[in-house]
Amino acid sequence: MLTKKSAATAGSARRLRGAAARPLGQTMDRRAFLKRSGLGVGAGAIVTQLPYNLIGAADAAAAGVSRSDGPAEVRRTVCTHCSVGCSTDAIVRNGVWVHQEPVFDSPINLGAHCAKGAALREHGHGEHRLKYPMKLVDGKYQRMSWEQALNEVGDRLLRIREESGPDAVYWIGSSKHNNEQAYLLRKFVSFWGTNNCDHQARICHSTTVAGVANTWGYGAMTNSYNDMQFSKAALYIGSNAAEAHPVSMLHMLHAKENGCKMVVVDPRFTRTAAKAHQYVRIRSGTDIPFIWGMLYHIFKNGWEDQKYIDDRVFGLEKVKEEIMTWTPERVQEVTGIPEDQVFKVAETLAMNRPSTVVWCMGQTQHTVGNANVRAMCILQLVLGNVGVSGGGTNIFRGHDNVQGATDVGPNPDSLPGYYGLAAGSWKHWCKVWGVDYEWVKARYASEELMTKSGITVSRWIDGVTENKELIDQPSNLRAVVYWGHAPNSQTRGAEMVEAMKQLDTLVVIDPYPSATASMAAMVRKDGVYLLPACTQFETTGSCTASNRSIQWREKVIEPLFESKPDHTIMYAFAKKFGWADELVKNIKVDKDAQGWDEPNIEDILREINRGTWTIGYSGQSPERLKLHMKNMHTFDVRTLKAAGGPCDGEYFGLPWPCYGNPEMKHPGTPNLYDTSKHVMDGGGNFRANFGVEKDGVSLLAAEGSASKGADLQMGYPEFDDVLLKKLGWWDELTDAEKQAAEGKNWKTDLSGGIIRVAMKNHGCHPFGNARARALVWNFPDPVPLHREPIYSPRPDLVEKYPTHDDKMKFWRLPTLYKSMQDKVKNISSEYPLIMTSGRLVEYEGGGEETRSNPWLAELQQEMFAEVNPKDANDAGFRNGEYIWVESPTKARLKVRAQVTQRVAPGTVFLPFHFSGWWQGQDMLKYYPDGAAPIVRGEAVNTATTYGYDPVTMMQETKTTLCRVSKA
Amino acid sequence: MGRMKFLCDAERCIECNGCVTACKNEHEVPWGVNRRRVVTMNDGVPGERSISVACMHCSDAPCMAVCPTDCFYKTEDGVVLHDKDKCIGCGYCFFACPFGAPQFPNGQAAFGARGKMDKCTFCAGGPEETGSQAEYDKYGSNRLAQGKLPLCAEMCSTKALLAGDANVVADIFRERVLRRGTGAEVWGWDAAYGGGEQKRERKREGQS
Amino acid sequence: MSRHPLKRLPVLVLAGVLSAGLSACGEVPQVTVYEQGQYRGKTDTRPWEDSEFKGDRAAWEKALKQRARNQSEYNRIQ
Repeated sequence: MLTKKSAATAGSARRLRGAAARPLGQTMDRRAFLKRSGLGVGAGAIVTQLPYNLIGAADAAAAGVSRSDGPAEVRRTVCTHCSVGCSTDAIVRNGVWVHQEPVFDSPINLGAHCAKGAALREHGHGEHRLKYPMKLVDGKYQRMSWEQALNEVGDRLLRIREESGPDAVYWIGSSKHNNEQAYLLRKFVSFWGTNNCDHQARICHSTTVAGVANTWGYGAMTNSYNDMQFSKAALYIGSNAAEAHPVSMLHMLHAKENGCKMVVVDPRFTRTAAKAHQYVRIRSGTDIPFIWGMLYHIFKNGWEDQKYIDDRVFGLEKVKEEIMTWTPERVQEVTGIPEDQVFKVAETLAMNRPSTVVWCMGQTQHTVGNANVRAMCILQLVLGNVGVSGGGTNIFRGHDNVQGATDVGPNPDSLPGYYGLAAGSWKHWCKVWGVDYEWVKARYASEELMTKSGITVSRWIDGVTENKELIDQPSNLRAVVYWGHAPNSQTRGAEMVEAMKQLDTLVVIDPYPSATASMAAMVRKDGVYLLPACTQFETTGSCTASNRSIQWREKVIEPLFESKPDHTIMYAFAKKFGWADELVKNIKVDKDAQGWDEPNIEDILREINRGTWTIGYSGQSPERLKLHMKNMHTFDVRTLKAAGGPCDGEYFGLPWPCYGNPEMKHPGTPNLYDTSKHVMDGGGNFRANFGVEKDGVSLLAAEGSASKGADLQMGYPEFDDVLLKKLGWWDELTDAEKQAAEGKNWKTDLSGGIIRVAMKNHGCHPFGNARARALVWNFPDPVPLHREPIYSPRPDLVEKYPTHDDKMKFWRLPTLYKSMQDKVKNISSEYPLIMTSGRLVEYEGGGEETRSNPWLAELQQEMFAEVNPKDANDAGFRNGEYIWVESPTKARLKVRAQVTQRVAPGTVFLPFHFSGWWQGQDMLKYYPDGAAPIVRGEAVNTATTYGYDPVTMMQETKTTLCRVSKA
Repeated sequence: MGRMKFLCDAERCIECNGCVTACKNEHEVPWGVNRRRVVTMNDGVPGERSISVACMHCSDAPCMAVCPTDCFYKTEDGVVLHDKDKCIGCGYCFFACPFGAPQFPNGQAAFGARGKMDKCTFCAGGPEETGSQAEYDKYGSNRLAQGKLPLCAEMCSTKALLAGDANVVADIFRERVLRRGTGAEVWGWDAAYGGGEQKRERKREGQS
Repeated sequence: MSRHPLKRLPVLVLAGVLSAGLSACGEVPQVTVYEQGQYRGKTDTRPWEDSEFKGDRAAWEKALKQRARNQSEYNRIQ
């Protein structure tokens, strides 16, 4: 019986003690009793040694560090997970991250966080991080020193370069690098001598960027999360914002409370759908018929904005011909949606303007991804919603800096700023980099390869395994560097391990070993290196949120363990490869706390400013950005504009385009293409990027249609020295500017003079004033057409709506369409269920980082598949049992069944964040000791199938086939 | 000053679990102890609603009433706290609480492996010196003493979860009610003004 | 007192009836009043006492009220 230690007991306690103590022979001290209870040990959680089984300090670093010792320093940073860009304040004492406080001042998140954002501090614990460089030796990962690692890896890569040319190495970069690191990586890869680089945007919104940019000029979110508060209606199609962009729902639900109508179209009844006024279930992969079905009703009822179309749209007549063939019956046949539902959505959007649309992977990850997004653009153009506050196409990007990495980072088809790979582009950047163009050219195997788009990350495995004759480069890929990217987010995982087997060298540079390490160790004995990079909390830099606002992160803590920032690693390799000086010609190099050379982040941003005129990354100097972060409370939450204060008149984060040099003080552009504002107040119009006329029809905007206060109130081409001279504005340039601008256009004029004169003096837009193209003649389908997915559940519809023809040399690889679709046309008889995948709120991307965080891992402990009760009963399993999910690749996934009506009969949903199991087997032993994620599960992409977008090589992850059975 | 209360606006809660991890973060709550959880009803079908639940800091707290060692106390602001040094881990409070607030660290044995009870403290620490390491180790952060409110509510992704003086919380919620107007958007509207008994009553009287 | 115990019975019954009749006087209060004083643990200080507020309760309440404003985005929008 327990005895009370306390002396101050009431009489009753003494009586209790006395009475109860007698029957038992011995008494037990409470301390001893409690010691035997033991504190909980979750899978991999930390056991405390404190005597009272109390909550203890959970990290080795903080144990012994009092939470009230030492002065508290506040470092403002931005979440590293999704593209909403939530700010948070890190409280640091004695170099240890002890608290996390909300930043209520931020106009973007107002202090709010989702599960991931509220758990950021765990990055300062990092129990499951990759702690030091490692090497695979006889199937096990062993520790090595940085010096050894840099030398061995460097030597191997140099040897491969010598033997097979620079294109034999594939550099997979990251959307989790900050802008400066992403930009430096593009330069790095160029000096290595290849365009074989890429990052997560490829498999995320590459189709968006291509489709939208080719419609009206820039391929980014046109408005912002905040601007949605002005929307009267919002359509979410293929977007589960409640789980993928939770804090965006703060703005949306606020809007909903104030009258905004919310519609969700998705194959699943998602958590976003639970908040909607109307939910429409659609068959995965049939977005175009649905959008055309809406437009059919819009045209039939005369709801289009004819003036807008007449002024600002090109080629709609041809598209309308296609649209009007999509009668309600035809729409229902393909999508499964009845007429009244399609009509209601169309009516909601038309009757409640300005209305906005949101799409994410549900639209982009298809073989018709480029066409899907264009159909959405056309919908908004017809309704006159583009360039209007509360309207626009609000594309929610994925990772925290996928927008920045797309803008200035390691893209295989362009140099920073979407300049492309033509000689002119190279010359522009070589000038900015301060290096000789001929020298860079000589780094490449040939000029042809220098100007040719590289292989995409979605196809690197084919770069390894494909027949050498069929690849459009001198050799196969022999080495891959996974630099801040997960492997389990790419399709065809079963084939990926085969490719990993064949590689000469595989390098992972990441804060976590990632599934790459375990997959490689499963099939190889050596030749794999793991180098510890640090997270964005252990370095400083800028990142671009989905709404194009750029935010500055302060460094929270020193890199943990032996990790180094990515730009430091880049510089170290550059030294090894012999071009360190060229890499940082105009960039100062400092010594970090461990004595390593570190390129100065602010200087890198200044270099970006000096070269990226195209998308207006030129005005966001480090000073201006830091000032914004310090004065967040002065920005209005709906308009993002500061009224008064040090940033008066500017928009938060100087959303690009922020044209001209920092001295011009352009305020940034909160909503793109907005003619109601002056260009020096963030106004704009559509871009003249496709010529001035096509087939006799003008591509420029109509007479009278221009941004507010522009001296030219009609359409005009983009600005160059010739146009300036023609208009008589040339002499407004200073002499220095004239020298720089001679023979140049607004994108290559390094003085920024052309931009200054056009914008500041005359209110004109430097990229011209044109019409948006509803008809994109340079795309495989100039008018978006419905085509069935490669793996379609409807052979009858495959007959009617077949996919494209095969391509022989596409991003350097043969790419199959029709031949693949024909081969698997009837495979739905064996694999009758549509398999789709998506996000969970607790995890992000490939998942190894978030699944290593115990606070998040506890919330989703197992991989699962959502199956409708009908399909579960047909297959004979119940909720919670293990099942096999098999795809036509013959790969099998062992997952828990979650029997739910969230999915309709015929569709199976699996989250894609898991990895660490391989077809039923836990891969724990293949991870380095102590660095495996807490939660492991099957990666859905182990079983996903072949299928690629014909413009960007986006993978078709959202629609394939599977069958389920009891395990 | 009235009493401290939580309110979770089910119209806004998107089950993001931000409140759950914020609590874990602020107090280093170990695996297996869930001071705050999100409960979802009608998962996956129209009518899905979620609510975040932790300790309700009841006026007449059942946990306090049944505790054999009387280790609970209630502060002037209505926060229900307890002294872990007095707690014997009997679990009676766990029986008594209608909300499942008392948590026990998982033991390694199958039965009888409870440790000290742990629960939401409204970020008010416990009976140790304010801001001391001992207070943090046993109860977590004392945000109230810093003039701050519970981190779960401060970090809620959609500001569904509100915490603070009950009058202030009510005011915040009231503004939303006014904006939402009538109908399903207003939480409880149907129960109060439209559903069930009232609807049948009106039908009988010949109204619609 | 009489020697037979049963003779005491009427007296006892009368006493029982009287006490039952008086039972209404000892009503349980309808309002729940928390009775402080049974807690046997360590003493705790109030949030405004041994903290940065140095005993100023009014300042503490004000600080909390101000802080609570952050939980409504309406305070920052229009």
